[in-house]
Parts: sequence; C-alpha cells; structure tokens
Amino acid sequence: MADGSRPNREYAHRHLRFGWWSMLVFAGLGLLLETLQGFKVGAYLDVSNETRRMLWRLAHAHGTLLGVVHVLFGLTLRTEADRPLPRARLISRTLTLASLLVPAGFFLGGFGFVGGDPGLSVLLVPIGAVLLLSALFLLGSTVGGDEAAKGAGSRTKER
Amino acid sequence: MAPTTPAGDSWRPLGLVLVAALGFSGALAYGSLRVRTPHRPETAHAERPIQVADGGFVSSDTCRACHPGQYASWHRSYHRTMTAVATPTSVLASFDRVRVDQVNGRPMFLERRGDELWAEIDEPDWDGQGDAPPRIRRQVVLTTGSHHQQIYWYATGHGRLLGQLPAIQLAAERRWVPRRSAVMHPPDVPLVSESGSWNGICVQCHTTNGRPEFSTPFGAENLFVQTIDTRAVEFGIACESCHGPANEHVAANRSPLRRYGLHLTRTPDPTIVEPRRLDVHRSSEVCGQCHGLWEYYDEAAERQANSEGLPYRPGDQLTKTRFIVQPTLNLDSPTLKRLLKEDPNFVSDIFWKDGMVRATGREYNGLIDSPCYKNAVEGARTLSCMSCHAMHKPSGDPRALDSWADDQLKSEALGNDACLQCHGSLRDTVTAHTRHRADSVGSSCYNCHMPHTTYGLLKTIRSHQINSPSVQATLDTGRPNACNLCHLDKTLEWTSRYLDQWYRIPPPPALGSDERSVAASILVLFRGDAGQRAIIAQALGWAPAQQTAGTDWMAPFLSLLLTDPYDAVRYIAGRSLKTLPGYESFPYDFVASPDQRIVMRRRALDAWRDGGSAPGHRGEAALLFNPDGTFIAEQVTRLSAQRNNRRVFYRE
Repeated sequence: MADGSRPNREYAHRHLRFGWWSMLVFAGLGLLLETLQGFKVGAYLDVSNETRRMLWRLAHAHGTLLGVVHVLFGLTLRTEADRPLPRARLISRTLTLASLLVPAGFFLGGFGFVGGDPGLSVLLVPIGAVLLLSALFLLGSTVGGDEAAKGAGSRTKER
Repeated sequence: MAPTTPAGDSWRPLGLVLVAALGFSGALAYGSLRVRTPHRPETAHAERPIQVADGGFVSSDTCRACHPGQYASWHRSYHRTMTAVATPTSVLASFDRVRVDQVNGRPMFLERRGDELWAEIDEPDWDGQGDAPPRIRRQVVLTTGSHHQQIYWYATGHGRLLGQLPAIQLAAERRWVPRRSAVMHPPDVPLVSESGSWNGICVQCHTTNGRPEFSTPFGAENLFVQTIDTRAVEFGIACESCHGPANEHVAANRSPLRRYGLHLTRTPDPTIVEPRRLDVHRSSEVCGQCHGLWEYYDEAAERQANSEGLPYRPGDQLTKTRFIVQPTLNLDSPTLKRLLKEDPNFVSDIFWKDGMVRATGREYNGLIDSPCYKNAVEGARTLSCMSCHAMHKPSGDPRALDSWADDQLKSEALGNDACLQCHGSLRDTVTAHTRHRADSVGSSCYNCHMPHTTYGLLKTIRSHQINSPSVQATLDTGRPNACNLCHLDKTLEWTSRYLDQWYRIPPPPALGSDERSVAASILVLFRGDAGQRAIIAQALGWAPAQQTAGTDWMAPFLSLLLTDPYDAVRYIAGRSLKTLPGYESFPYDFVASPDQRIVMRRRALDAWRDGGSAPGHRGEAALLFNPDGTFIAEQVTRLSAQRNNRRVFYRE
C-alpha cells in the first residue's frame, strides 16, 4: 500500500484524470485567447493591456504543461505499481495544489493590473511554484528508489 | 535472458544526445548572429550627435517595461519622431537613386548604400572661392519631423556637426521643395547655411535633454574651428522630457512591495513627475518648455545649458531658469530690451501688435495671455494645455492612435465640450449666445474664440490665445477677426454692426471708407504683410468659410496670390485654389519659375472668367466686382499699391 492507505494505481488514476481534464481546461483557455485575438478584442489586445495578455498566456501555458506533468506522474505511478511510493499523499496533494495555484495566479493576475504590475492575485503564483518545486523534489528523491520504498514500507508498518 | 547493460553504457546515448543538442544550439546562435546586421554602439558614432542616457535619465526603453500602454501612445506620437536617426524606414522620402531639382543651386542626388543614406549636394558652407561651390557627398544621419515636413541632416565630417540638405520633404504631397520655400522667409534675404542649426538650436527641444556642447557659443565663431560634441539622452521628445529624469523612480520601484503599496493606497509616487497632478500653471509649463518663445537670461545660462542641458525640470517654475517672451508683460524688461537691441524685429516677427503670438510652436505664449488662464481664480476652472490635450491616448478614447496623434486632443475636446467644461451654462443656450444655428460652424466655440490666425509650417492653426472677435483689434493689429475669417465676403463695418447689435461691443469710432465698403478679407489680402496674406489664403480654402461666403468669387483673388513674392503664401494659395470647384486638378507649382507662375496665374483667371456667369457674389462691389462680374480695376490697382512689404520672417 502506498502511503499507508491508497495503492499507487489509485493515485495514478486520480492524476491521469486530473491531468487530462487540466489539459482540456487550459487548452480551452488557449482557444478562448485565440478567439479574443481573432476578434481583436481590445481588452486583450490593446497595448495598454499587454500585461493582461502576457499573464493569460502564462496561465494557458502553465496550466496545460502542468496537466502534462500530472499525466506523466500518473503513468510513473502505474509503472511503479508494485512498489508503493513513499509520501505519495503529500506529493499528490502538493502537485495538485500547485497545478491549481500557478495558472490561477497568472489568470487572476490579469485582472486589476496596474501598468506592468499584475493584480495582487499573482501572489498565488510563487506559492504554487514553491509547492510545485517541493512536489518535484519529493518525486525525484523517492520515485524508483528501492531503498526509499523499503523505508516507506517500514514506516508504514510502524504506524 | 538478455545481457544486462553496464551502468556506464546506459549514459552514453544520453551524452551523445546532449552533445548533439549543444552543437545544434551553437550553430543556430552563430547563424543568427551572422545574418543580423551588426549593431554599432551609439558611442561609436563619431560623425553625428549621439544618444547617451546619463545625468539621472534612463531613456524610454526603460519606461516601456512597466508602462507599455503609455509607451505605445507616445511611440505613435509625433513627439517621438521629432528627431530620428535617418534609416530607410525613418525617412519619408525615397533615396533610391533620386535626383532632386527643387533646390537652390545644382540638383541634389540621393542614394542608398545598404542601410545608409547618402546625398550629393553643393557645399552650403562654401567660402566663395572659385567659380562655384564644390560638390560634396555626405551621409544623411538624422531627420527632424515627420508630421508635416521632414528635414534631413548630414554628417559634415567635423566632429558631430550636422549640415542640412538644401531641400525638405513635404509629408502630405511626398515631394521635395527647397528648404527656404517651406518657411516664411523674405525672398530678398540671402540664404544662409544651416550647418550647426540642429546642434545649436533644434537639439534643445527636438530631443530629450539635448546638450549642444559647443566649445564657444553657437554663432560666436566659425563652426569649423569649434569643438562640437553634441549629445542627448534620447532623440525625439521622450518620456523624461515631461516626467523628468527617472533614474530614482526606476531604482525605487524595483521593489514590488513599494509598487503595490503605491497602487493599493493610490499614493502618487514622489520619485517621478506626473504633469496631470501638478497645478495648472506648472503643468502647462511642462508643455511651455518647448511650445513657448523663450531666451536665456544671460550668457552664463547658455553656457550651462550647452554643457549640461537646459536646467528646467518638469514641476519647476519655468521662468526661474529662462526668460519667457511675453510682450504684454515684459516688453520693458532688461532681457527683452537686450534682445530687441540685437534684433529690432524680435517681437514683431512673432507677435501681433497687441502681444498675441502669431507663429506656431509658441502655443504656451498664447495660453498664458488667455483670460481663461490669467484671470481664472480656481485651479479646477483654469485653462491649461491638459484641458484639451492628452499626451497619452485616454483608455476610453475610441479613436485609433493615428487619429489621436494628429493633434493629441482629447476626444471630448474635439468640439464645444472643450469650453463647456467651464462654461457649462452655455450648453443649453448655444444659439442665444452665438446667434447662429446650434449645429452650424458659427456655433463652434473654436471658430469664434480660437480662429486660425497663427501661422507656421505652410499652414495656419488656431490661435491658442482665447479671445473674442473684435473689429477694433483688427484695425489696431491687422489681425483678421474670427467673423471675417468665415464671412470672407463681408466688410468690417458689417461685422462691427453685428457685434454691437448682438454683444453690445461698441463699434470703432470711425471706420475708413474701405473698411465700410470692401470685404475685410480682400483688404487684408491686398494690404497685408505676407503673414496676413497667408491667413487669408488659407481661409479661402477653409470649407466652413466656403460654405458661408460662397466660392464663385474666390478664384481670382487666390490667383493673384499665385505670384506672391513669398513662397509660403503661394503654396497656401495654390492649395486653397485646388479646393474650389473646377480647380481640383489645376496644375500649379509654387516653386516654378516666375514666368511659369505668371502663366499659371493667367490660366487660373481665364478659367474663372470662362467658368460661367452666374451672378452669385461676382457682382458685389464689396468684393471689388462691377455688376457685370468684371473687376473694378481702379480699386484693385489702388489696393494692390498699399501692400505691406515689410520683411516677414517667422521663427517657426
């Protein structure tokens, strides 16, 4: 059992689903941005809205790429199905939260911006970035490691 | 069982991929550097003035990162292009092996050498030795202007000293004309070299913090023995011309905490000047630093500006560091007395006799003598440049940047709302006030209170001194009044009668017989100086005046001006003539030879004579017509002899 309660396949299923849905949502945002571009909507295209344009593009790009990260994470967990991932719950939650905060921070920062400064919601981005880096660090240090898996297993048993 | 791969071998493919990727990236970077034109650092240009952001200035490139919207509207403005490095994209004219005959002297030849622009001309600084000036080939390095005209400056080869090409490009027609033909210049005054003019004069207002850096004052000795190291923070009038040096602002606002603190508390940033937040006098002075006629108080001030740039900074009191010429206030000041001693026409060339400015580019002088400025007691109800103009296109303005950039007027200042900001009580009583239909040009505040009596750049613009029509002022100064600039066919006596009847403005004690019997416009056209004739020539082509006064009588008067001694007057007359029905494609070239101009004038008159005999205005005595439509010859001859032939030289 991974992380004491759920097997890898359950996390894999969750992240695969999150990843594909995330890609759908943020690819959809891309389509919306293209529509704004196509119809020359001033609120998006005017030079005075350059900050908004940049932030919304960042939201689109980060959201989509983080969706891909979730899919990769899900696939990784599937390939490691027989080796429970230590701290899987923490990694899963951290990655999921990061994938919400980073694109949301960029997107919402596109409202209420002043000149070249994004709206205050952009503060969600560094929080999300720290969570993302933490999740990646945890993943990098635990995935595929037999010793780690053993350690995690023993800790699980101790509980 | 497959053989197990040693751990070292598993890294080998990855290493190969990395090496290949690095090699590919390196090749790409090298290739892109090879195809890109090598960028020459600004300081490497020893042959022309350079742009160096120092002395607390940072240049507009830095401002762009945080203020993209403001940067974009400024970038589209003609302020930016007031001076530009000459490149194939910045010049209006073609340099592709062009021969230009419209110059004084031998033709000018232009050519492109890659991205460089070159000209072959007669040496304008010829010392007079030999039969003719030598031909010189010089690189054109800077341009001035892009809205109405573009002037070209070449590297003389003496330090950063620039010379001027002998012809300039008219933007609307995209044609070359001799330099002198583009300004109001007395025909009998010899042409002088313009070498050094950009370094010594233009640099002050056509760049950001320009410094002439002449070893001795411009004009004090031969330019070619002086050391000239002209530089500016930036070519064109950029952000820091109006907001002040931004180094401190940039440094302070690297901190996001500070920026968001200012955003959230809506606190003005004390590290930069926002002209809109200054009081009306200080904010108008920001514009007045260039749109005003000024002089140095003394030679020490000139030397300081020469090496450090003009000391005025936005927010300062302008008169602390320079003398603003305002004949209504300071005619007796020592500075103006000194200037008049050096040039007795210093005031009369630029101001009407009552002190109203008559040359363009001096709008600030008009503003500060306006009652809406000098008599106002409330800041919020005091006229300032910002009352009508916006230096950045407002976000709610639906116009394209190009339309806004023309005069940089706020959209609400395009009509009567400009004045109704303060004179709101007139909103519902327009007709009662103007005595004209509310939707007619006679009900435009601008037309009556800011008529086109200021001249410059081959056109007239609205006076920026708010005033009311006055026949007495016309008699005293010779300045056409607003009523007669629209009612071109009416006499001063007619205007005087209506002003008395409608506004209780007492008529002048005694009007001469001509003022009672001849249309005011015709009197100015015959008797006026070149500046006055230019005003009437333009009015005759002004659509509102044509609707009001009819057009069937105008051609012969405009045709008389086709042979005016002043190039500028001829140009405007020719342009107005082409607005008349039947003359749209009339072939007239204002710089053609005098003989050709006489022929063209005759043709224009013939076309008018042959253009039908509908009575219209052609039989009116006030327009010098006999009842049969022919001219009252003796009147024409008599008035022609009264022309004011004083030399008119505008400091445009």
